[in-house]
Amino acid sequence: MIAQLTKSERQLALIILLALTICGLAMAIAGRQDPLGVHGAIVMLAGIAGIFGVIYVYYEPEPDEARLALYYDDPTKVAIILAMIWAVLGMFIGDWVAWQLVFPNLTFDASWSSFGRIRPAHTSAVIFGFGGNALIGTSLYVLQRTSRARLPDQISPWFVLLGYNLFCVLAATGYLMGVTQSKEYAEPEWYADLLLVIVWVVYFIIYLRTLARRKEPHIYVANWYYMAFILVVAILHTVNNLAMPVSFGHAKSYSAFSGVQDAMTQWWYGHNAVAFFLTAGFLGMMYYYLPVRAGRPIYSYRMSIISFWGITFMYMWAGSHHLHYTALPQWVQTLGMTFSVMLLVPSWASAGNALLTLNGAWYKVRDDATLRFMMVAAVFYGLTTFEGSFMAIRSVNSLSHYTDWTVGHVHAGALGWVAMITFGSIYASVPWLWKRERMYSPALVEWHFWLAVAGLFTYVFAMWNSGIIQGLMWRTYNDSGTLSYSFIETVVAMKPYYVARAIGGLLFLAGAVVGSYNIWMTIRTAGQPVDARAADLPVTQPAGVPALQPGE
Amino acid sequence: MAVEERDPVSGYLTTGHEWNGIKELNTPVPRVVYFFLWATFLYSVVYWILMPAWPLGVTYTKGLLGSDQRNIVAVQLKDATAERARWSKLIETESFEAIQADKRLMTIVRQTGATLFGDNCAACHGRTAEGGSGFPTLVSQAFLWGGTPDAIAETIRVGINSPHKDTRTSQMPAFGRDGMLKREQIDDVVDYVRSLSNPAVGKAIAPAKLASGKAVFTDNCVACHGENATGNIELGAPNLRDNFSIYGGDAQSVFTTVWGGRQGHMPSWDSRLSALDRKILALYLVNLRAAGP
Amino acid sequence: MGFLGLHYRLERKTMSLAIGIIIAASIGGLIEIVPLFTIHQTVEDAPDMRVYTPLEIAGRNIYIREGCYACHSQMIRTLRDEVERYGPYSLAVESKYDHPMLWGSKRTGPDIARLGGKYSDEWHVKHLINPRDVVPESVMPPYAYLTRAKVRVDDLGLHLAALRKVGVPYTDEMIANASNDAYGQTSPDTPFAEGVTKRYGEATNVRAFDGQPGEPTEMDALVAYLQILGKLTDAAHKAKTAAAGE
Ligand code: HEC
Ligand code: HEC
Ligand code: HEC
Ligand code: HEM
Ligand code: HEM
Ligand SMILES: [Ca+2]
Ligand SMILES: [Ca+2]
Ligand SMILES: [Cu+2]
Repeated sequence: MIAQLTKSERQLALIILLALTICGLAMAIAGRQDPLGVHGAIVMLAGIAGIFGVIYVYYEPEPDEARLALYYDDPTKVAIILAMIWAVLGMFIGDWVAWQLVFPNLTFDASWSSFGRIRPAHTSAVIFGFGGNALIGTSLYVLQRTSRARLPDQISPWFVLLGYNLFCVLAATGYLMGVTQSKEYAEPEWYADLLLVIVWVVYFIIYLRTLARRKEPHIYVANWYYMAFILVVAILHTVNNLAMPVSFGHAKSYSAFSGVQDAMTQWWYGHNAVAFFLTAGFLGMMYYYLPVRAGRPIYSYRMSIISFWGITFMYMWAGSHHLHYTALPQWVQTLGMTFSVMLLVPSWASAGNALLTLNGAWYKVRDDATLRFMMVAAVFYGLTTFEGSFMAIRSVNSLSHYTDWTVGHVHAGALGWVAMITFGSIYASVPWLWKRERMYSPALVEWHFWLAVAGLFTYVFAMWNSGIIQGLMWRTYNDSGTLSYSFIETVVAMKPYYVARAIGGLLFLAGAVVGSYNIWMTIRTAGQPVDARAADLPVTQPAGVPALQPGE
Repeated sequence: MAVEERDPVSGYLTTGHEWNGIKELNTPVPRVVYFFLWATFLYSVVYWILMPAWPLGVTYTKGLLGSDQRNIVAVQLKDATAERARWSKLIETESFEAIQADKRLMTIVRQTGATLFGDNCAACHGRTAEGGSGFPTLVSQAFLWGGTPDAIAETIRVGINSPHKDTRTSQMPAFGRDGMLKREQIDDVVDYVRSLSNPAVGKAIAPAKLASGKAVFTDNCVACHGENATGNIELGAPNLRDNFSIYGGDAQSVFTTVWGGRQGHMPSWDSRLSALDRKILALYLVNLRAAGP
Repeated sequence: MGFLGLHYRLERKTMSLAIGIIIAASIGGLIEIVPLFTIHQTVEDAPDMRVYTPLEIAGRNIYIREGCYACHSQMIRTLRDEVERYGPYSLAVESKYDHPMLWGSKRTGPDIARLGGKYSDEWHVKHLINPRDVVPESVMPPYAYLTRAKVRVDDLGLHLAALRKVGVPYTDEMIANASNDAYGQTSPDTPFAEGVTKRYGEATNVRAFDGQPGEPTEMDALVAYLQILGKLTDAAHKAKTAAAGE
């Protein structure tokens, strides 16, 4: 793949990698008494490995000009493989976390493996590792096709993808060493945060440059969402991570904000990480893969507009619903609650737009597990946003907050929406990318689907039960007017649900493993290669001719 | 390029754009979407008018209802206290004996006490109040500071070796570490002490050793644990003849106690729990003990 | 239609679309966050509020490092059952010096905003070494390694200095003596101990938290932090009595 780079690109790569290596070295030296040193070493090793990789092919012949007539999909391919690796890893850790609440000594008396350290490793591995790679991979794919333009160069996408994965590695290894800012979904420390800022700027520039060269007058909906995802995450990330490092030799930093302002900033970030990472980005994905796979036009362009601007505007107000009844002033809670309720309308408009797009293709949903993944995703998107708006109502939140109900809601969204739409999209794009007629085994796609659905339902029902039971037990009064249950009794009552959740998670994980195997075999075993160029030339397709291969 | 066409399935026109084969219908937004948009907005407006909602530089709109979550909970708490007054007044004012004789009140004590105990005391004394290593059982007859409801209530209020100004204070000296006794003496007294509560141990030990242990005990320990080693509730010194022990009755544990001393720490609940709650707990414990083994 | 028409123009210009997104997305945050700095009532006044000692800061960092916040909240809500179970609801001022705040979002274990003084040091040590030794039903992980690890104190001055940069009122003297104060707080019978009470107040806990005086362990630091939770100011208790008296 590196051989695809031109000479000057190879040189640029070497310069970047050298700079990275030097940064790593500086970190390793400055932080030799601190976990920062370990991260310095990791950065340095990454840089050196990259340098070797480039030098290895440095004198290979340059690629021919013909490549410029094709889309540049190598980064997408790697991103999809990375996404699946992170998926299996992240969900494995998730299930381990789940079993720890059943068998608390599953830490093997080590520090790195305790609940509080591997829980963020789970959330980051699935959200950033799995979700982020899937978003980067599919966004580059969709961007090129809906703009009919090749990526502007061949270095910046690699910079984004690999830089981003380095960030994920720093995040995950950091938690295991105890390096964390404790801000949920923003736990990585200042130097990793800085790396992400740089990566993100380059990511946005790729978007701008490709769109600038597009051959379509209009920017497609999917790209509105991908752009919103990139831009807003940049704003959120920068503000929420403002912090003062102890020194350049310390991984530790202190958040710029404190107390109530810090809480509001964190949940303004946290909620919109959900909105723009886990929702907007994946809506972009859905808006491309679902109509293509179903072979149907989007149900309503106008509804796309309403829901896009509704989501972009309203989500940003909703973060305070994470702080109901707390020391956050009540007026902010009011705004958070009311905007969350209004937010349901654009959310359901998106879900409805997706499901109505399937009109005329429901027979395909029945037969095609890939499309079924996407259909279930749209349904769960609708369910989760409904649940979210409901939970954002103060009186409901007084019950649900702090309990497993939140965790159930999270995973209805994470498993039902994020993971399902991603698997569907990946199953759709793998054969296109690797020029296969179809997946290695459609039966295994079917297996994956049912394992995922079974796992999803088990997980979510278990958590709804445990969350509501625990919430009710906390506030139950006996007829003397005093509390009925002590806290520890509620911990005991959670046991059966924790077991069920861990089993559900195992099913979902098994599905992901099956899927990874299937994808791997699709890549390895040649089916009947279809004509690579016919399907993928960045030129107008004559109207009416299906641009892509039919489903399996 | 922008050629509109009609979708055969829905009958709607497309927008005429196409991206990589994807087209869009120009379907009007269904009425119901606008309806709900307006409905939720209206709901919000009403809510904003009634409740604290919008910031205004250095203050914010307070809302017509004048609602404030802090006042609301304060009122709820006050109402709850008033509601409980139907029985709490009695518990606060009546004597322990009178309350213990009142079945209805004791039902309330059991209900309320169980949760209070679970949230505050169970961490140390166990959910069943049977204690654990380092933390005494509260359901035996063996009380360090007295088992009457008054004594228990006082222990709960001031704690034992706690930072409270009236705390109960007690200490088992470190006879070994502080060089007051020699190693053999300690071994002997440990055997002797263990024989007091466990005749089987006494039989297994050479009488001479036992006698020496007894001598050490008389010289060093009776001051606190009493002539018969039955303890002293003035000093919080435990009875060594019964079957209960805080730190374990095996030779190793007893040795550690005599060698290194002990000073258990029971927090004071004076500022954390109300007088009513503490009284309920004392009654709860007495009741538990009566019901127990 | 006006709105759809505006959009129709935006979706043909990359930069306009980008700017449109930025504007639409910025409004909510600005209106909700900025006033929290300008409205005085947001954070109550509490003249008795004290800062964390260096040892407590070290303990707090261990609390963060171990991810205790993943299971424990430090935010008692204004709900009857929470106040009756955990004590007076939390005030904003109580986390005024918390960079970052640790309010939490999940209660797998109980709220610990008012934990300070609830249990003895010995209990905490036992509990952290293996929670199931004292609470058989607990699902909390064991943290025995904290008793073995010495806490790093030589750089605590830098930590205090960084905190001062983000607004915590540490004095030069506190910063200069940070390492000694951390040592002193766990060594009651040494000259170092006096400095701690002098700088942080008579009520500061000075004792061997893990039972061993001298060089502080991570267990010392963590327990020192746990024992101060809810005790930096009395404001919450005062607010409660004030409310009850109206
Ligand atoms: C931090 C642990 C801890 C907690 C929490 C605790 N205790 Fe104790 N308690 C002790 C210890 C230790 C002793 C014994 C002190 C000694 O050994 O001298 C004790 C002793 C007592 C005694 C005296 C027993 C006797 O024999 O005289 C009573 C009564 C008691 N506790 C009741 C309670 C109640 C009621 C609560 C809850 C409100 C409570 N304890 C919470 C640790 C605790
Ligand atoms: C100054 C008073 C004092 C003297 C003298 C004293 N004790 Fe104690 N002893 C105590 C107190 C107080 C306790 C309870 C400590 C606690 O619970 O924290 C205790 C506890 C014990 C226990 C532990 C009981 C249990 O339940 O685990 C043993 C055993 C014991 N003493 C033996 C001795 C022996 C043997 C001697 C003499 C060599 C001795 N004591 C002298 C005050 C004293
Ligand atoms: C897996 C979730 C989990 C993690 C992680 C966790 N705890 Fe806990 N914690 C619990 C549970 C459950 C309880 C209630 C049972 C008990 O007392 O052990 C608890 C109880 C406690 C208590 C007693 C609180 C009270 O008022 O009774 C303290 C103190 C505590 N934990 C501190 C910590 C600290 C410090 C850490 C991190 C080093 C930590 N916990 C990490 C689950 C957790
Ligand atoms: C209209 C849309 C939504 C609304 C109004 C909403 C609302 C909420 C509410 C009220 C909470 C609980 C906060 C608390 O009590 O702590 C929550 C938590 C959460 N939601 Fe949603 N939600 C929505 C959609 C989604 C979607 C689609 C996802 C996708 C995965 C998601 C992911 C999460 C996550 C991860 C949390 C947990 C945050 C934490 O760590 O505490 N939400 N949401
Ligand atoms: C095999 C599948 C999975 C299992 C077994 C699993 C398990 C868990 C567990 C046990 C927790 C901790 C809950 C607690 O603290 O009680 C958790 C939290 C979380 N997981 Fe997962 N998970 C899985 C998949 C995913 C996926 C795919 C995503 C996202 C795409 C995800 C996102 C999250 C998030 C955001 C949280 C934090 C929730 C919060 O703080 O409220 N999980 N998960
Ligand atoms: Ca961060
Ligand atoms: Ca959370
Ligand atoms: Cu939210």
